[in-house]
Amino acid sequence: MSEYSKDYTVDELMTVLMAREVRNDDVMIVGVATPMVWAAFTLAKVTHAPDAIYHYIMGNTFVMEPRQVSLLYLEMNTARAYRLQDSVECTLESLPSDKLTTIEFFRPAQIDRYGNTNNICIGDWDKPKIRLPGAAGILDFSMFYARGSFLYTPRHDTRTFVEKLDFISGVGFPDGKPSICGGSGPQCVITNLAYLDFDDDTKSMRLGSLHPGVNLETLKDSTGFELIIPNKLKETGPPTVSEITLLREKVDPLNIRKLEVLSGKEREELLNKVIEIELRRENKYPKLLV
Amino acid sequence: MVESKLMTLEEAVSTYVNDGDIVGIGGLSFWRKAISACREIIRQNKKDLTVCTFVGGIDVDMLIAGRCISEVKSCFVGMEIFGMAPHYRKAVESGSIKISEESEATIGLGLRASYLKVPFMPLKGIIGTDMPKVRKDIKQIEDPLGSGTQIMAVPKIDLDVAILHVPYADEFGNGNIPGAVWMDADMAKTAKKTIIICEKLVETEDIRYLPGKAQLPMQTTNAVVKKPFGAHPTSCYPFYTFDPLHIQCYLKTNFEEYKKKFITNKTAAQYLEEAGGVQTIYNILL
Repeated sequence: MSEYSKDYTVDELMTVLMAREVRNDDVMIVGVATPMVWAAFTLAKVTHAPDAIYHYIMGNTFVMEPRQVSLLYLEMNTARAYRLQDSVECTLESLPSDKLTTIEFFRPAQIDRYGNTNNICIGDWDKPKIRLPGAAGILDFSMFYARGSFLYTPRHDTRTFVEKLDFISGVGFPDGKPSICGGSGPQCVITNLAYLDFDDDTKSMRLGSLHPGVNLETLKDSTGFELIIPNKLKETGPPTVSEITLLREKVDPLNIRKLEVLSGKEREELLNKVIEIELRRENKYPKLLV
Repeated sequence: MVESKLMTLEEAVSTYVNDGDIVGIGGLSFWRKAISACREIIRQNKKDLTVCTFVGGIDVDMLIAGRCISEVKSCFVGMEIFGMAPHYRKAVESGSIKISEESEATIGLGLRASYLKVPFMPLKGIIGTDMPKVRKDIKQIEDPLGSGTQIMAVPKIDLDVAILHVPYADEFGNGNIPGAVWMDADMAKTAKKTIIICEKLVETEDIRYLPGKAQLPMQTTNAVVKKPFGAHPTSCYPFYTFDPLHIQCYLKTNFEEYKKKFITNKTAAQYLEEAGGVQTIYNILL
């Protein structure tokens, strides 16, 4: 057993927890503009899940080789090293299959106690206060995965965790019941404060473990509905030194995953730095990690 | 003798894009989008277009800012890691454009229904979401063959014109895409007219040797336009990636100023010069 890291940031903790969800026989969907998911899957590939396969939405391709996370060159990674490629039909036909794709992380703008999610709008759909970019394939596939769907958000607050969604664009356990489409439903929600899962009987969201340094009151105050709190509180197992070293030095040395966590000026500075470094690169292919 | 379909972008857009058309745009978000055609549509001041695209990005946002669009059919419109699409967001929030809420499958199956000449395709998805509440033309039905399974009937999408940016084409309209094809091939099959804009014009013989060959076959193509860097500021694999600096510039600039600098009365060469010239080309080349 590797020793625990004493020095890690919240994006690193979340990425490590997401990586730990991956199994060696998984097929992992990587979407567009989700560098934290890409980093997590790649970390899994270079640690405990070397045989897992990437399924890149970006190219509708299956890819074996892990490569360093990149902002500008994701397309090269997916188009060049492809195993299968068939326009979008591949996505349409293979996602509901239990074999062709097994694990996907969704990032909801809003989530309710049953793991239903919203990525469409804040306020009424007819006259939205905020129109969000959209839910893309979440509408189609959130209820299909045999292994269930996986959720993450670095914004654990009462704007994200709400009593009632403004629009249901992802199906969790509707009214506490499994979806009529089959699938195992949401398995966990990994946030900046805690690891959450769902109660076996009521299908309602439950505290799995609190991240080190987070207290229960903060968690409750940051959640817009009542979480099930187990009698015995558990603390999230921190990242190991080896996980953190791999993440920082090999998987995502430019910290691209942090773009999902930061906001404002800090985020813009990181974005500019990543762009500057990547544009300067002679070899544009993201670095192979095998 | 097969006739050449080669024409200028100006000719292609004025001939095949009409006010009120349902226009399909190929590519995905920042990747392989026919942006040169979007600029031409704005220059020609086309109106009331319905734009259908798998994932929209700067293409949809720019056409909204240019006041060319009255309706959007897309499952996602955003600027990827750069944030929300500002003009899209504003237009939807103020109610100045209509949204047809879509998912990946409603677009994919809708296009497929159109070329299969069926009114709808069955989808086992969406059930349980709020999408049917805002799409009265999508209906939950029971399997008519009697299994008892609940399915969604997703309507066909008929395109008037598809506008596709590809790396390679011959002058007769055979198009090749070595990277991801996304909805492009389905759009070409579905649309009444198809415009292909290519980076590089090649001989038919060359298409035969490219991986994937002619995913866009000549008989579905009406116009071929040659426009190197025509997808800029989006990508065109295997030639160049998207231009992050230009996308940042777009997001920071008031659209009227942007239009004056990059769109109005600009030739393709003048556009590239304004967008950073040789340095920009060096930046984005793979």
